[in-house]
Amino acid sequence: MALSQRVHDLKPNQFVDWRARQISDPIEKLQYLQCAMTGRVALVKRPVWRRLSLGAFVIMTVSFLLPAPGVVSDVSRVSHRQMFPETAKKIPPQSFSDVWLVEETEQEEVFSNGLRVDNRFSTLNQPRFYQVLDRKRSMTPSADWRSQPVGIVYHTTESAIAPFDAERNDALKRISYLTLKNLIENKSYNFFIDRFGRVLRIVEETSAANHAGNSVWADEDSAYLNLNSSFLGIAFEAQTGTGETVPVINAAQVHAGRVLTEMLRAKYRIRSENCVTHAQVSVNPSNMRIGYHTDWARGFPFAALGLDNNYNLPPASLSDFGFEYDGLFRHAIGPDLWKGIPMAEAQVAHDASGNGRSYYAHRTALQDRYHKLYSALKLTGALEESNDAPAQATE
Amino acid sequence: MPQHKQLNNGSPVGLDVGTSRIVTAHRVDDQFQYQTQLNAFVNLPYSKMTENVLAKENVPHSVHGSGIVVHGNESERFADLLSVETRRPMSRGVLNPEEPQSLTQIQKIIQSLIGPAKSKSQKLYFSVPAASPGNDDSITYHEASLRQILTEFGYDVHSINEGLAVVYAELENSNYTGIGISCGGGLCNVCLAYLSVPVLSFSVNKGGDFIDTSAASATGDLINRIRITKEDSFHFNGYFADKTHQALSIYYEDMIQTLVASMKEALLGSKSLPKLSRPIPLVLSGGSTLPKGFRDRFEKALLASDFPIVLSEVRVASNPLESTAKGALIAALSEI
Repeated sequence: MALSQRVHDLKPNQFVDWRARQISDPIEKLQYLQCAMTGRVALVKRPVWRRLSLGAFVIMTVSFLLPAPGVVSDVSRVSHRQMFPETAKKIPPQSFSDVWLVEETEQEEVFSNGLRVDNRFSTLNQPRFYQVLDRKRSMTPSADWRSQPVGIVYHTTESAIAPFDAERNDALKRISYLTLKNLIENKSYNFFIDRFGRVLRIVEETSAANHAGNSVWADEDSAYLNLNSSFLGIAFEAQTGTGETVPVINAAQVHAGRVLTEMLRAKYRIRSENCVTHAQVSVNPSNMRIGYHTDWARGFPFAALGLDNNYNLPPASLSDFGFEYDGLFRHAIGPDLWKGIPMAEAQVAHDASGNGRSYYAHRTALQDRYHKLYSALKLTGALEESNDAPAQATE
Repeated sequence: MPQHKQLNNGSPVGLDVGTSRIVTAHRVDDQFQYQTQLNAFVNLPYSKMTENVLAKENVPHSVHGSGIVVHGNESERFADLLSVETRRPMSRGVLNPEEPQSLTQIQKIIQSLIGPAKSKSQKLYFSVPAASPGNDDSITYHEASLRQILTEFGYDVHSINEGLAVVYAELENSNYTGIGISCGGGLCNVCLAYLSVPVLSFSVNKGGDFIDTSAASATGDLINRIRITKEDSFHFNGYFADKTHQALSIYYEDMIQTLVASMKEALLGSKSLPKLSRPIPLVLSGGSTLPKGFRDRFEKALLASDFPIVLSEVRVASNPLESTAKGALIAALSEI
């Protein structure tokens, strides 16, 4: 049976199980389970699924009714796709390779595309459970909560790196092991690809790893804040060396990244446009700058992993939420600015003009929108505080 | 000994009507509180002086013609003093068909614990055993009789399977998925629940009374004495030189083996088991699980049996004597 068919959607009872785990009070948990499993309607106390719907209502109310309500609707008047024909072109039909699970043991999974995932270290973390913002409806938080990943964020571990040669085999293994230990302890990523191209599952996909706490991304339909819950995290054992801004990964790692990406895209129907690097999504809300983390700020081998070059996509952090960037970020991404950045800036300028505002006033309004949505989502627990610091390993 | 002060504050009640003990659970200020009475009584010859002493000491009792009935916790003490057996309203998990006063005495014990309902809407969940395999009607009379008594007290009465109550009390962390076992005086009750829904439940006709009776028969002691010895000093993993402990050890082993074999048979024979995606916990409760080493001995028997379900843990409940009442209370609270 194809893996995508087998696990594409959560089975109803697994979903009920996940939701019940959100409830700490034993009585409320039992009420919820009895409602969910038997179809019974709770009488007085509101089960969590109803509170979550209320949460969505609260968010919408906060988003629309608190001060500066016009910001949201003003921005949405102009369609991105109408203004930028180069990005407005229809995204080609997504292709998802038909990858299936060949064999599964407690220690390892083997897939039909040659991928082997080492499960010996896999652990659970906070269950994956999140809300998205509807990009076509003025960033309204969706009423439905989700528990399937919609994207992948690629990272580097920024851990110690030894020369990759046979004579250093013991040191290479020791460093990989130390790095792995650190990642497991911090539940840093869902997957780790070491320098020998081995794929190790660290945090199970059903759980959110602590890989991209303050972050923003958007696809054609939805925007996502704090991607720990909505995106999977894959880390390559690699380092962005001093004076050299492109991290180096070897052929084994590229191959592993490709087959892992292929499997995850097939399993969760992940769009190519939602397979991005940490530098593309990382933001710092305290100074409203993008690029707080700069791993894979350039040089990510999108094509080798079977993906479109997503450096060409306008980051929603700039176009939809008014983030800025500074000289350090420019240095990190190198002389060739991502094509998406000027497109995002042009978008902001166009929307400002359409709303009769100056560029700076409009950007401030977008930033206000980000802060309001961020606060509202935090209120309902849709955003968890997280630590997305990179791992450090010493030889 | 003073009579228990009733905790009934009008909130829902959990009631474990066991062969050996009747336990009530209430929630007071977000804390679970319990009261227990032995489900037993003893007849004393009537005298005005005895009646006065019992009244003065707040010992639960009632006068019946030429006798006085002491029920609940104090019955064991009086039985030991008079070298007679206590009388038991229940046997093998249900009303004792050979005890003409069974309903009357249970009613009095329950009355001493909770009294009448504070309002018509006050919910009460009481535990009932599961039917034993091949004998589905075995609990019908028992359940209906208790329901009538409790309804007469004015409660909104519901029953709950004893094993499921253990699941509700102990397996919150696994979303009420797992196996709850109550090893009581009359029966061992087993329930496999999946996300709070009972999937498989049954009882095994061996419990603490089986051990006591069999050991008493083998040694010639009074059953009451055997029970006191069992509760005071019996444990597993040790060598016993005296005959009583040896007999207890043999019949405990018999109970465990029967329980494990019945579970295995029921699980293998069930056609409605859910597909479990991960190992599930098993929790043991009830007075018969109290001897030191019981858990280890039980786990050893499971391992030896090639048990058909993968278990994440085997543990004894945090409060083995109170978990059924607690689970019944949780069920009542979830109904509000």
